[in-house]
Amino acid sequence: MKTHDVDVLIVGAGPVGLYGAYYVGERGLSAAVVDSLSEVGGQVTAMYPEKQIYDVAGFPSVSGRELVRGLAAQASQSEPTYLLGQEAQLLERREDGRFLVTTTAATVSAGAVIVTGGIGTFSPRVLPAGEEFLGRGLEYFVPSSHEYVGRDVVIVGGGDSAIDWALMLEPLANSVTLVHRREAFRAHAGTVDKVRAIDVQLITNAQVTALEGGTVLERAVVTVKGEDEPRVLECHKVVAALGFTANLGPLREWGLELRDNRHLVVDTAMRTNLPGVFAAGDITDYDGKVRLISVGFGEVATAVNNAAVFLDPAAHIFPGHTSNEPHDVPVPA
Amino acid sequence: MPYVIASGCIDVNDKACVDECPVDCIYEGERKSYIHPKECIDCGACEPVCPVDAITQDRRVADGDEAFVEDNRAFFTEVLPGRDAPLGTPGSAAKVGDLGVDTALVTGWSA
Repeated sequence: MKTHDVDVLIVGAGPVGLYGAYYVGERGLSAAVVDSLSEVGGQVTAMYPEKQIYDVAGFPSVSGRELVRGLAAQASQSEPTYLLGQEAQLLERREDGRFLVTTTAATVSAGAVIVTGGIGTFSPRVLPAGEEFLGRGLEYFVPSSHEYVGRDVVIVGGGDSAIDWALMLEPLANSVTLVHRREAFRAHAGTVDKVRAIDVQLITNAQVTALEGGTVLERAVVTVKGEDEPRVLECHKVVAALGFTANLGPLREWGLELRDNRHLVVDTAMRTNLPGVFAAGDITDYDGKVRLISVGFGEVATAVNNAAVFLDPAAHIFPGHTSNEPHDVPVPA
Repeated sequence: MPYVIASGCIDVNDKACVDECPVDCIYEGERKSYIHPKECIDCGACEPVCPVDAITQDRRVADGDEAFVEDNRAFFTEVLPGRDAPLGTPGSAAKVGDLGVDTALVTGWSA
């Protein structure tokens, strides 16, 4: 297992974690960011990429996707090490005072830890039928599109991810069918219209009730409301995009003081009860807490600057104004 | 500012919302379901799937349903019939299952 050595480990690559990664670099420190999802952006990317957000300072209106793109570009100045698609599982304090965090794929040695875990670790909602084909045709994510070239693909779901994947795979796949169990789509109306305009077969009021095949997937059985006989779709791939469930997960066992079974108690410096472990964003709780993205950005700046002093007691909490230093600002991709 | 389930759910209790909630904070009672105000993250995923439009944010419940804002909370803070203590914050509706009871307001509700 690879070990990464950094000054600050950020647990959670949502907006607040990304902004924290930027700020760690602003303090001249190195950062790693771990997240159970395979993409950055946390809840915003997983649940509302197309929604407009109106309460981010300086942006009268910004889509979730645009905001995450900007945050990732801003964070890139710090050159953080991203550990995506891995869950932070164990936190240990070593004798030399450093923390050792074990993820599902790596270990990280860090001088300080900042937990920006939001509502916890995300797991995809499972397809009620055909789980035995997982990895043999059934997938919950589309990490790369090359496996779908020339294939017959069935996508299940009605949210933004389902629609995004239909748009992404339609030019590559032999056929794309989108199965959704309701008439209305939860995804943004504009992107649903895009899917209607291209060569994607839509089957609504329908559920995948069985997957069939041998060593690999060959067919999906789809039951449509009001039809006596189920439809059988020949396919190589089924992508289940039924959304996510979130749970605090292994963080519960880290010895951090919890409130209401889901929030971490912090003080005005964003310190948790464990010295060297800070928290920011939706996961924190204190008297007067307001759980909004704009508040999270401020909290993580507080957490990073206090972590800098924790790492070097001679350092100042106040980092100076960024406007006094020239920055080579990256353009969002 | 959580979402709340109001009177429209009573005796329908379709539970489509339960499948949508990403934090599993919708708890099943006998005549209706209840959203945990401290566990709800205000994402809104439940609202469009309700077949009877019984779910709204707490600050815009339908006229006449104002009492359900407090009632969703009461389901967790008051001792329900047949139990020794309030439900509190279990952290997962799946963990506690179908509770099979309601608040006094809902038990005594007649349309």
